[in-house]
Amino acid sequence: MFLNTYLKYHRAFFKFLLLSNLVLSFFSCSEEASIQSYSIPSEYNGPIVSWKLPDNWGENPDLSGPMAGSFHIKTKDGPQGRIGVMPFREQVSTVDVANMFGREMGYPTFTESSLAPMLQEKEIGSRTFEWLTLKAKSDPVSSSTRTALLALLRQEGETWLFPFIAEQKLVLKESENFIQFLNSCTLRSANNKPIIARSPPSENRINKPSPPRPTRDNPWTWEIPPTWEDGKASSMRIASLKVADKNGSKLDISVTTFPGDVGGLLANVNRWLGQIELSPVDQSSLEKYCSPFTIAGNPGHFIEAYGEKDALLAGALFLGKESWFFKLLGNRTLAEKEKGNFIEFLHSITPKPKQ
Amino acid sequence: MNNKINKSSLSQRRRDFNFLLPLASLRLTIALLSLSMILIFVATLEQVRIGIRGALAEYFESFYGIWYYPEKFWGGEILQDIPLPIPGGYLLGGLLIINLTAAYIVRFQWTFKKGGIQLIHLGIILLLIGQLTTQAIQEESRMQINKGEKSNYIERFHGVELVIRDVTDPAQEKVITVPQELLQKGGSHSDKAMPFTVNVLHFGVNCDFDFATAEKPRSPMAEIVNRGVGQSANLNITAKEEDFSSDALNFGYIIFELLDKGQSLGKWMSISHPAGNQVWSQMSPKLSDMGFQSIRHNGKLWGVALRQEREYLPFSIELLDIENEFYQGTEIPFNFESDINLHLEDNQTRRALVYMNTPLRHGGKTFYQYQMNDSANYSVFQVISNPSWLVPYIACVLVSIGMLWQFSFHLIRFLRKNSQTPQKA
Repeated sequence: MFLNTYLKYHRAFFKFLLLSNLVLSFFSCSEEASIQSYSIPSEYNGPIVSWKLPDNWGENPDLSGPMAGSFHIKTKDGPQGRIGVMPFREQVSTVDVANMFGREMGYPTFTESSLAPMLQEKEIGSRTFEWLTLKAKSDPVSSSTRTALLALLRQEGETWLFPFIAEQKLVLKESENFIQFLNSCTLRSANNKPIIARSPPSENRINKPSPPRPTRDNPWTWEIPPTWEDGKASSMRIASLKVADKNGSKLDISVTTFPGDVGGLLANVNRWLGQIELSPVDQSSLEKYCSPFTIAGNPGHFIEAYGEKDALLAGALFLGKESWFFKLLGNRTLAEKEKGNFIEFLHSITPKPKQ
Repeated sequence: MNNKINKSSLSQRRRDFNFLLPLASLRLTIALLSLSMILIFVATLEQVRIGIRGALAEYFESFYGIWYYPEKFWGGEILQDIPLPIPGGYLLGGLLIINLTAAYIVRFQWTFKKGGIQLIHLGIILLLIGQLTTQAIQEESRMQINKGEKSNYIERFHGVELVIRDVTDPAQEKVITVPQELLQKGGSHSDKAMPFTVNVLHFGVNCDFDFATAEKPRSPMAEIVNRGVGQSANLNITAKEEDFSSDALNFGYIIFELLDKGQSLGKWMSISHPAGNQVWSQMSPKLSDMGFQSIRHNGKLWGVALRQEREYLPFSIELLDIENEFYQGTEIPFNFESDINLHLEDNQTRRALVYMNTPLRHGGKTFYQYQMNDSANYSVFQVISNPSWLVPYIACVLVSIGMLWQFSFHLIRFLRKNSQTPQKA
């Protein structure tokens, strides 16, 4: 029965065999190659930075060396300047970074004390950047001098360096855009952990090199006005205070000390004037902003300067071996309101009783 | 009665398929088997010169191969320049399948008595088909895992791809791959998944590379590179023929240009390391970015690299421990053993031991213990993907049954005859 049925359909079976052979002979013809795209859980463990670029900035596609991002400014003369994002997988010292650029710009090798007067802290959004401006030594007067504006952010055991190198004119013109750019940056560290906005407390930094620390303890006592609050902790500061109003205006008050006279009164005043976008002055015009002021029984200086938006009030004390700066910086309106409190604060400074 | 039906069936088949008669010839079978012996002889000789892979590609995975008579053989001085065409594996294998199938149709009697012979030939046909299928679809890859880590992808031994990755999202990355076939064609390639067009300027499966110096500047091919590692490391490359020998290291290379709306973003160079691009950083710090040359484009971070063609698996293998044993007093391996955890698709885990001749089979793939580096704490599996791997086993079973059938049939007939013959006193 089975055999009869089989014989009945044997033609179909042969056809099947022949067809199978034909199929097999074409089997080796693989499907046409094409571009494939797919998504996988992220395997990349390098640093990632994302940002919003100002309209007149362009991106350099070439990322050489440690650069995570590289940009230029579009000008009518073509792309100019170079802004970079450099993540370091460790805490590099500010002195090392300053020397990296300083040597190229004609500066002698920086030390902690020689760098200190040039170093500022800038709060941008919720982050605090170390801020350093290096102007090429070859022609310090000319406005076309090559300038390096270095912004350093230290978080999660990593250091992020944002160098902005261009002619001084361009750096000044684009400084607001540079600040906006830094504020827009979202940073992801190399180990794939998102970087949080604030530095972790110093006790979490065991085994990591610390940034330069003040060389001595605070020898002063003072009275803090009731409207002032504790400010952000920083290894660069002896004390840090802040004032804020309902409108969101802020003042940052700091007490810092440095060995030596760190360039003297004129250099420091000009540095501070630059922070509130005022032009530098010479020795003869210093009186415009400075007046004698006694701090803790020592002859010192009171500096008062008002920019378009921001203001600076400061007390400076040069004691030969060391210098002390008591500085208030921030919103002009709020600074005018807090001027009385600041002067009272300066008057309240007295040496700590010896134990 | 049945015998008559069967004989008439064979006659009927011969009439219906008379065009198959010459193809079913036994002489053809003998000729094909003889040519197969010549093929194996020639390929064995050539294996010394061009390696196993080369001999396979030239003689077995082709319809014909060209062989030059060896100079050292008798008369070689005269004959060495004459190209001799040798029928290839595809031609002989294909003809043998046709010959056997034709014989099956127009020569064999489909009777119970001859069932064994039919089964044996069916087994041989299956064996040939299985081999052809294996050559066509089998893929050989490697999986390297560091001790304590896990991997969910395999990389082909032969074949590279240009990979372009968007790694901006910390959770997942978008991967775009351009296969070797397209790179070999050259020209421009674009895809909606990537914002730029890739223009392949130079591509090859093997190259020599070194750092250019004042004495030995970059070749014209390398000189056009103005972005990435090729430019920063001042790399020089020279194209090279693919090396088929068993210990060959073929460094695939590509020089390509990226364009955005017709505007060039630059020209890059990438080289694929046959042992995986993670090796570059061990070779030189200057080359450490070869596995991921970063490109910023429209606020996104992309990375490009030429790498061994990669396949992601729906499961992963975690290397727990490795053991490396040698015969006493020698450096001859006695046993390589990898203790692994197989993490399955449904979040289940299976513990397994993979060692010489005891592979792990999962998901249509076979993982053989291939290489091991005890000091560097990693293990490499050779991964074979062959959907037709069962065919030779089935073929052997069919041939065995056929032989048993045929011999048993004769034995029973003999015993029957023997028992019917009256014994002499």
